[in-house]
Amino acid sequence: MKKLFTAAAVVVASAAAAQAEYPERPINMIVAYSAGGGTDIAARTLAPFIEKHLGGGASIVVLNRAGAGGEIGFTELAQAEADGYTIGFINTPNILTIPIQRDARYSLESFAPIANVIDDPGAFSLLPSSDIKTFDDLIAYAKENPGKVTYGSTGLGSDDHLAALEFERMTGVELKHIPFPGNADVRTAVLGGHIMMASMNISETIGDVHEGTLHALGQMSNERWAGAPEVPTFKEEGYDVVMGSMRGIAAPAGVPADVIARLETALKAAVDDPEFQEKAAQQHLALAYTASADYLAELESLSATFNALWDNTPWVQQ
Amino acid sequence: MMDIIQHIFDAIPLLLTFKNVLAMVVGTAIGIAVGALPGLSATMGIAVLIPLTFTMDPIAGLGMIAGIYNGAMYGGSIPAILLRIPGTPAGVATVFDGYPMAQKGQAKLALRISLVSSSIGSAVSAVALLLLAPPLSMIALKFGPADYFWLAIFGLMTIAVLLSSNPVKGLLSAAFGLYIGMIGIDMMTGIERFAFDQLELLSGVNIIVLLTGLYAIPPAIDLALNPVKPVGEIGKIEDTTRNFRWSSLVPVWIKSSGIGVITGIIPALGGNVAALFAWNEQRRGDPDKDKYGKGAPEGVAAPECANNADTAATLIPALTLGIPGSSVAAVILGALLVHGLMPGPQLFRDKADITYAFMLSMLVTSGLMLVLGTLGARAFVNVLKMPTQLLAPMIFVMSTIGVFAIHNSMFEVWMMLGFGILGYCMEKLDIPTAPAVLAVILGPIAEENLRRALLISGEGFLSLLQGPISWILITLIVATTGLPILKKMLLRQKSNVSAVAGDE
Repeated sequence: MKKLFTAAAVVVASAAAAQAEYPERPINMIVAYSAGGGTDIAARTLAPFIEKHLGGGASIVVLNRAGAGGEIGFTELAQAEADGYTIGFINTPNILTIPIQRDARYSLESFAPIANVIDDPGAFSLLPSSDIKTFDDLIAYAKENPGKVTYGSTGLGSDDHLAALEFERMTGVELKHIPFPGNADVRTAVLGGHIMMASMNISETIGDVHEGTLHALGQMSNERWAGAPEVPTFKEEGYDVVMGSMRGIAAPAGVPADVIARLETALKAAVDDPEFQEKAAQQHLALAYTASADYLAELESLSATFNALWDNTPWVQQ
Repeated sequence: MMDIIQHIFDAIPLLLTFKNVLAMVVGTAIGIAVGALPGLSATMGIAVLIPLTFTMDPIAGLGMIAGIYNGAMYGGSIPAILLRIPGTPAGVATVFDGYPMAQKGQAKLALRISLVSSSIGSAVSAVALLLLAPPLSMIALKFGPADYFWLAIFGLMTIAVLLSSNPVKGLLSAAFGLYIGMIGIDMMTGIERFAFDQLELLSGVNIIVLLTGLYAIPPAIDLALNPVKPVGEIGKIEDTTRNFRWSSLVPVWIKSSGIGVITGIIPALGGNVAALFAWNEQRRGDPDKDKYGKGAPEGVAAPECANNADTAATLIPALTLGIPGSSVAAVILGALLVHGLMPGPQLFRDKADITYAFMLSMLVTSGLMLVLGTLGARAFVNVLKMPTQLLAPMIFVMSTIGVFAIHNSMFEVWMMLGFGILGYCMEKLDIPTAPAVLAVILGPIAEENLRRALLISGEGFLSLLQGPISWILITLIVATTGLPILKKMLLRQKSNVSAVAGDE
């Protein structure tokens, strides 16, 4: 029996070796944000599992190319050689909105999406002491006091900001946007009562909801995220806002299809790995694996939404 | 309170295993080295280390991180004292008195003062973190945009002190700093300011690029231009450590560690601001102001104590509320996440053992720092005996590597060299560089928060005068800056009057 196993293993291994030499040298994985940030930690947590499931002693080197809201890293990924030895994380909405906002040196067509890994829905949250407990309260208050509801986001053109714009467009209310440099700053401002509401991703809000320090009105996903089953979706409440921050992996356009397929298979196995699942749960990662074709379709549809939103309300002064 | 002490006692045996102590020793040593090398900072050291701690036991990994954090804050003072190159942004204020001390042949004493002050600062900070974290963390939430604005103005006022000899040149430097701080995408409108369509400028100028350029390159150019240094003049190092009256520094330590802890708790301010505040306050409170900037031991003790007192204090809002007050704290939060520790009140309940062991390691590494620093001091001082032909290229190489490592960007290396040439010219023209650095750090905080405060209230400038914290800060600004100027004017008037009276 043991012999049979060994024989089988040898056959499988040699078959794999014959099928493709790839990867025969280290693969660079570009992260367009600084070391120690959310995307970076997710990437560094995931990389060893991709290595494991690519097999053959594959090695992945995480490279941080931070700056300009991700544009520096995205540009480098877009312009890298299409040989499968450079892959990288692409984050929505920035990957899509940067080319809308300014002349960028890449577009969505510059990438070959491999698979999406994380989809972190947006959410609106307030202090539990606030009089606003439901969407109806929010809309009633905002209609009576136009521009009095201050909400914080992680900056102009962030998913938090775009989500609120979409909500305003849909309901016809007027909210006041207060941009902050990062998620922690928004949290501090809402917890300290300096702004009324936070537009923050659900994974960043749920800790406070569990602790009872924030009250979430809703999350902007199609279905409730498993990590926050008690928070209703905007859709359930009658507001069709689906927005969030997707973090997936892409290669430069033009990478051979069989290489993309190998990476996709390894990535799926890595995300399904129970050990990775456990680590992701610890870090509150909103995992949402989406295969290559669906991922591309989703990116294209999102891009269309953002273009329409931009024509209606350009979120950056020109 | 009792259960906090119980938790601490529970954590002691967990932390003090051979493996964990070894990790802390290694971390502290790495930290001192990282801090001492211009361009490399604690943030980067920890960020690079995080993947390595993946496979480690959480307590060992976090202990190592605590060591790096504390060590780097002290390490920054070594080149600041010996070569007038602050190894980290927090070391800028140490240059003011540390380098003159070394020039007087008191390098050993200056290093010793810096080490002892750093250890004391770290220890006070760690104790505050261990015992008072939950109540102190509320300070972080109380600060609104208007309060941040006044705080930044308070900090910018210290520039007035740095101007002393030639106000015009000092203001020129400060204005240059404010300009550099404006570069990049404007947060509030999304408009690109002074970026000239350069992708690399969109997120602004990194403070380490500016600092390394302004501080590390000019001394290297100087060394390269005057390669033959008379041995025996600067190379002569007196051992004045024994005769020094350490007790005279006790009031400095008390004041500076207080400043450091409070600055640390307030998000957005870091060790660099704490050190400048402390140095400024020390000089302001001393009747003999003239000795500062010329090698006063108190002028080394104050900033070094304060920048280390900032370390554990920054972790107070980070651990209790998940609010990282600085980039280092943000990276440490990342490391905690990797080990499955979600910051927030539940951290102190559900993961009390690891959390308290980590906080305790901040205290233990401050002691380890004292030991390692003492052992290393002998070696550090030898830098002064090194032939300048070697020293100058070494500074260039290390600065370049350090700056390149921030974003792996050659653009930033060229920018650093550009700032270096500018810094050299400024030095030759007697234009101080410290106001520029302070303005780069505080200018954007003041601007952003002023605009945010006005946006939130929608009621114009009166909204800046609401809230008790704003009033406290305004009072502080008037008391520390306005009154001395008023006093000087009154004195002048009086002497004019008496001069006139004498004429008659």
